[in-house]
Amino acid sequence: MKALTANRLADGEVVFWNAAGWAERFADAQVFADDAPALAAEARARGEITMAVDPYLIEVEPVEGGLAPVSYRERLRALGPTNKLQHGKQADGGAAIERLFRAHGAARSSGRVNLIKRK
Amino acid sequence: MYRYDDIDKAMLADRAAEFREQCARRLAGEIDEDQFKPIRLMNGLYLQLHAYMLRIAIPYGTLSSEQLRKLAHVARRYDRGYGHFTTRTNLQLHWIKLADAPDILDDLASVGLHAIQTSGNCIRNLTADPHAGADADEVDDPRIWAEAIRQWSTFHPEFSFLPRKFKIAVIAAPTDRAATRIYDIGLRLHRGEAGELAFEVLVGGGLGRTPYLGSTIRQGLPARHLLSYLQAILRVYNRHGRRDNAWKARIKVLVASLGAEEFARQVEEEWARTDTAPVDLPDIELARIRAAFAPVGFETLPPVSALFEAAKSEDRAFARFARNNVMAHKKAGYAIVNIALKTPGETPGDCSSDQMDVVADLAAHYSLDEARVSYEQNLILPHVKLDDVPAVYAALAAAGLASPNIGLISDIIACPGLDYCALANARAIPIAQAIARTFADPDLADAVGPLKIKISGCINACGHHHVGHIGILGVDKKGEEFYQLTLGGSGGGDEGEASLGQILGPALPAGEVAPAVDQLVGVYLRQREVGERFLDTFRRTGLTPFKEAIYADAH
Repeated sequence: MKALTANRLADGEVVFWNAAGWAERFADAQVFADDAPALAAEARARGEITMAVDPYLIEVEPVEGGLAPVSYRERLRALGPTNKLQHGKQADGGAAIERLFRAHGAARSSGRVNLIKRK
Repeated sequence: MYRYDDIDKAMLADRAAEFREQCARRLAGEIDEDQFKPIRLMNGLYLQLHAYMLRIAIPYGTLSSEQLRKLAHVARRYDRGYGHFTTRTNLQLHWIKLADAPDILDDLASVGLHAIQTSGNCIRNLTADPHAGADADEVDDPRIWAEAIRQWSTFHPEFSFLPRKFKIAVIAAPTDRAATRIYDIGLRLHRGEAGELAFEVLVGGGLGRTPYLGSTIRQGLPARHLLSYLQAILRVYNRHGRRDNAWKARIKVLVASLGAEEFARQVEEEWARTDTAPVDLPDIELARIRAAFAPVGFETLPPVSALFEAAKSEDRAFARFARNNVMAHKKAGYAIVNIALKTPGETPGDCSSDQMDVVADLAAHYSLDEARVSYEQNLILPHVKLDDVPAVYAALAAAGLASPNIGLISDIIACPGLDYCALANARAIPIAQAIARTFADPDLADAVGPLKIKISGCINACGHHHVGHIGILGVDKKGEEFYQLTLGGSGGGDEGEASLGQILGPALPAGEVAPAVDQLVGVYLRQREVGERFLDTFRRTGLTPFKEAIYADAH
């Protein structure tokens, strides 16, 4: 399963693609079971140059109570820095944030589709 | 200190106005990210994990109180009320909005600050001895020469597209407090046999994936020829430096592949055919810059302060601060006060806007209007009367800035790591916090003595792990954060010449790093001989006892 993420152009905020456009919460991300619609969404997002910067697909997987990014790096983006818990999306708290906190494993390289190719 | 003249101010205003227009075009979709990215990077604006990051240059780490207050204001108004001082003596703001960036550059320009050449393959912000102008052993103020290089290198057309980024450090004292051997060029000013000012020129240092210590390619370069000699070095690098592979494009790789002797020969050949007069600084301009750094406002004072001595006797905490954070000044009755941005449990190098304001006020009232940033991610009040140190300490303590741990085990360098940086493989800050908490007891830290821990979240080595007494490198090992430890590195200073650390053994998981450091300290305390610091003991014993302590269970 995959989700599409980027940083919003105007303020750099981490955003996730869904049917309505870009959402700030991972919990609101559209999850793609198949590659074709995921790649189509990525292509469309790349064309919308005033919305988001450098969109890319990430792998997500089931965790207790829902889904979470496979990569620790991506969970950090979805939460915020671990040294300042009052900053980032984690400050809002709630079940969806707690779910991401409970997920573990996969530091950086895994879970980013076409990382090498993109570089 | 040097104040920007009308030419400098006009240049900054023009640059900020130009960037405002470029940002507007990007936000309107008139240019895309591929076109805009080089432009924003040339103005110090990166895109990191959570937001844009603005890297603000602090040339040779010197700030006036007005400039420091402006940094506090910018961090408060446009960021989240804090900034992060880096190993390049820059300030990074981690929560910037693109739409605010032009206003920020305007605010910075109003006090002679900017983000120019804090990114890109150009000559970056210069660093210098943070004790410049206050150290008894210096032969000149190194900032005079750093400022000359800053003016020469800013927007230099020939050196705006080098093979890779280029960093220069300048010192003018025998003690190397700027780690000159890990720079692309390290400049060490001294007096020659006839009393003339001359540079030892080191080239080819650098950390990252392939660490090298710089080699001396010229002794006794007459100081007046500094700029033409730098031009010759950069021309050789520009001509032969690799551009096909970013990992092999730094000058250190060229110097290593040619050999320092051959590289020096080519530089001398290039320099010999240079018409130096148009390049070297005219005497009148050197005098103008020198005048800006002339000591102003020092009083004639007795060398001993009864007030300072009494405070040490009466207050044990102050005595500890005085012992660890207060250093000798060249002027009788004055001291250098070091402010550790390393309160155990806090993020190394982070400083809130309120704290910046406190330091700015103290600089204005007690330190001849100057503050400094050191590459060890600390702040410095360079010119404080001994009589005033107790009052300065009290104000710092009230602001949470009186941690008495300069040079001790909890005075840890750490890059932002995976908590913020798009390049990182692993987090650095939580590792630093865990180690600092382990040694938070000031009596314990004092008992361990001088010990420098340096942590990088990836091989790019912004946290200088290669030159830590204990170096810690974050790696991504099968999808988990692991940390490789090195021992015996040094940036130089009062430890003799710089050295690169040796790998201790297999990387450790995050939770085992602080306990491992505790074990390494245990080995040192058991093995040390009278007067030995951690580094001295390591250099005597080598890796073996330390390795056995950490990996005994593995055998």
